[in-house]
Amino acid sequence: MDLESPEQQAVRAAARKFVANNIIPRADEFDKSGEFHEYLLEAAKASKIFTMAIPTEYSGLGYDARTQALVLEEWGYGCAGMGTTLAASILSMEAVLIAGNDEQKRRYFAPMLNTEIGAFGLTEPDAGSDVGAGTTTAAREGDGYRINGAKCWITNGGVASVYVIFALTDVLKGTKGLSAFIVERDRSGFIIGDKEHKLGLRSSNTVYFELKDVHVPVVNLLGHEGDGMKIAMKTLDTARPAIAALAVGLAQRCLDECVEHLHRRFPHKPFPGQTLQFKLADMQIQVDAARQFVRHTMALRDAGMPFARESAISKTLCTDMAMTVSTQAVRLMGSYGYTSELGKFMRDAKVMQIYEGTNQIQRLVISRAVLAPTPKAVPLSSAGAS
Amino acid sequence: MNFDLTETQQEASQRAHMFARTYLDGIAYDLDRCGVLPKATLDALAIHDFFGLLVPKASGGVGAGFINHILVIEAFSRSCPAIASILNNHALAVHAIAQWGSDAQKQHYLPSLATGRRLGALAIHEHGPSLGIGPDALLASCRDDGFTLTGTKAFVRNAGAADLYVAFATLEPVAKNPSLTAFLIDAHTPGLTIGPRLDTMGLKGCPVAHLIFETVAVSRDALLGIESGGSAIVDRLLSLGSVAEAAQSVGIGRAAVKHAADFAEKRVQFGQPIATLQAIQTLLAEAATDCHLAWLGIQRASQLVEDGGAFEVDAAMVKTFVGRFGAKMLIDAIQVEGGLGISESKPFGVDGTMPLARLFRDMAGTLLLDAPGDFPDTLIAKSITCTGKP
Ligand SMILES: Cc1cc2nc3c(=O)[nH]c(=O)nc-3n(C[C@H](O)[C@H](O)[C@H](O)COP(=O)(O)OP(=O)(O)OC[C@H]3O[C@@H](n4cnc5c(N)ncnc54)[C@H](O)[C@@H]3O)c2cc1C
Repeated sequence: MDLESPEQQAVRAAARKFVANNIIPRADEFDKSGEFHEYLLEAAKASKIFTMAIPTEYSGLGYDARTQALVLEEWGYGCAGMGTTLAASILSMEAVLIAGNDEQKRRYFAPMLNTEIGAFGLTEPDAGSDVGAGTTTAAREGDGYRINGAKCWITNGGVASVYVIFALTDVLKGTKGLSAFIVERDRSGFIIGDKEHKLGLRSSNTVYFELKDVHVPVVNLLGHEGDGMKIAMKTLDTARPAIAALAVGLAQRCLDECVEHLHRRFPHKPFPGQTLQFKLADMQIQVDAARQFVRHTMALRDAGMPFARESAISKTLCTDMAMTVSTQAVRLMGSYGYTSELGKFMRDAKVMQIYEGTNQIQRLVISRAVLAPTPKAVPLSSAGAS
Repeated sequence: MNFDLTETQQEASQRAHMFARTYLDGIAYDLDRCGVLPKATLDALAIHDFFGLLVPKASGGVGAGFINHILVIEAFSRSCPAIASILNNHALAVHAIAQWGSDAQKQHYLPSLATGRRLGALAIHEHGPSLGIGPDALLASCRDDGFTLTGTKAFVRNAGAADLYVAFATLEPVAKNPSLTAFLIDAHTPGLTIGPRLDTMGLKGCPVAHLIFETVAVSRDALLGIESGGSAIVDRLLSLGSVAEAAQSVGIGRAAVKHAADFAEKRVQFGQPIATLQAIQTLLAEAATDCHLAWLGIQRASQLVEDGGAFEVDAAMVKTFVGRFGAKMLIDAIQVEGGLGISESKPFGVDGTMPLARLFRDMAGTLLLDAPGDFPDTLIAKSITCTGKP
């Protein structure tokens, strides 16, 4: 049985071709320079792939979650940094899909149809995992809001044209006073700061920015005042498996590079010793299992079923797996790994264990679900009695 | 059983730590960026006698012993692992001459190497599936008055910076089970070229390149040890190298754990320093435990080296252990610091630079398995199964 529909197979094939032609040949160059891969947006224009999460009624490609995961996996195979640009733009769109009204969606998605990108601004210097500790405020003023504060570690922050930004509309209410706003890049007082130089995902643009008396009209408020925390959490739940899909692609690439290297170095020896053989087997076991879990998560989402728990599991499972597999690959390939682009995959994987909620925060979510007082299993003692 | 260092060793360790803080802390970041070793640092290493630790006093060295060497490598690695790597490669090359060189060779080479006027390097690896096999293996053919060497030595550390290479070649005609022969090759020997410097992931201050030999003619004086006696030398050097590299990874690990722990005490999330969270404590505790246990194994292996006993199995065990946990130490230390942990520069809100990203890359360069298929597990297994026993 084919698990992918003919449409999905076609999407995967197209994504693979795009990645082979446009991403793989230049990933190393942009990793070295740390510059943003502007060229990629132009290259992606024809396929409209940056609109894959936008429903067709808004002129997007309207891919379901499973199909989006196929594309992201292929991009992760090519370069998780470039994949992150796509994933983070979609992250910002999800917030609008979740909380925006029809007019806001139209407005927010319009630039995306032209391969402009979006950014999601939640994190602040003192509010990383502790989202509620943010101090950016949005004060009601006339027909709109005046936003003041600073955001850091924002992906696409220096290159996006539209942003979803979280700010407190009621400082006294804490997280219940958090609200989400659409903020256009060209509003005055929006000051983009320095770009971060990172260990991995280097071509992905990550910046610090400040908002100084940035005025937005009331129609830019997503949902109601105080909905911010709910919107942020729901958006992240939806978007996290995208990172998982990138990680699966990254890990598969490491494995393929390893095998390719072995064939090159040992042309007459199709099978290396068992130690190495089994290490490769272990890598494939992990990659395949992780890939299936992403599919499962996406299938739940497409079916309209709850998937918050699976979302957290898939992000943690896949990024931890990518870290293990890439580390193993670099080590197995010895100096070849250490002097080639393989090291990049290891550096990229490390960042993925941190962003979109650290894997510790995911474990908090998962353990809460595990420990929730809804016993699924029949207790052992009573099982014997029946 | 005594796990304590002798007084002399304690002093040596303190000196090394002091040196690292004074001379290495300040250059590590820039060295990682530009890769060019500052002359002042090399001079300082020479003045403080760090180049001659493994050279006997009689040959102009310090004769400090292997434990002392390990202490220095660990201490330097906390500040700047690239320097530790340069020094270790030099020390092993020097050790080969001190151990297997003729009196004339020792007199000729050791004084300048011991004082750091000249730098040494080892040229062991090749591109082929194993040494002596492969289209560009380094082959040596016998002439009346010496040898001619042709081929490539791959991934040579200290390449370009070194004045002398201890290079291993296979004698022609190549036997079915080729054995190696060691040669001392001056960097200026005609026919020897240093390939372009390779772009490495970490240890960026320590240059890596291929050495290309095009009919390099050397006299018999260049022969180190006996003809076809090189395999035993390589085995010993790789075993010593395993212990030293393990010490390097412990130094890196300890520096990372310390930095992450300090960070965790200052970083407040959810109203409390993250150091108070059990999840953070576990990450730090596991990394500290791995460093500690690895260090005990390293100490034991080094003691065996110094006592002149068989240490190869211990060295292999240490290599296996750090291979399993070394990378994890850095993966976890960075995790403790969250976004700031992956910063390669001076991120917003931080004084100075963040070191963990660099140490993560340095650790990757420290843990490579360079002999394909030659896993330390195999050696260990042979030591405990009947099939492996003679
Ligand atoms: C490359 C990159 C891109 C990013 N892109 C975006 C973006 O587009 N938009 C955006 O809003 N943010 C973005 N971020 C921010 C990212 O989401 C945060 O870095 C992340 O949430 C962690 O926050 P922090 O870095 O402040 O770490 P901290 O929250 O300070 O965490 C430090 C450590 O403490 C642990 N910890 C914290 N609280 C707990 C707890 N309660 N229990 C157990 N452990 C805990 C963490 O797991 C971590 O190990 C990005 C970050 C990076 C590195």
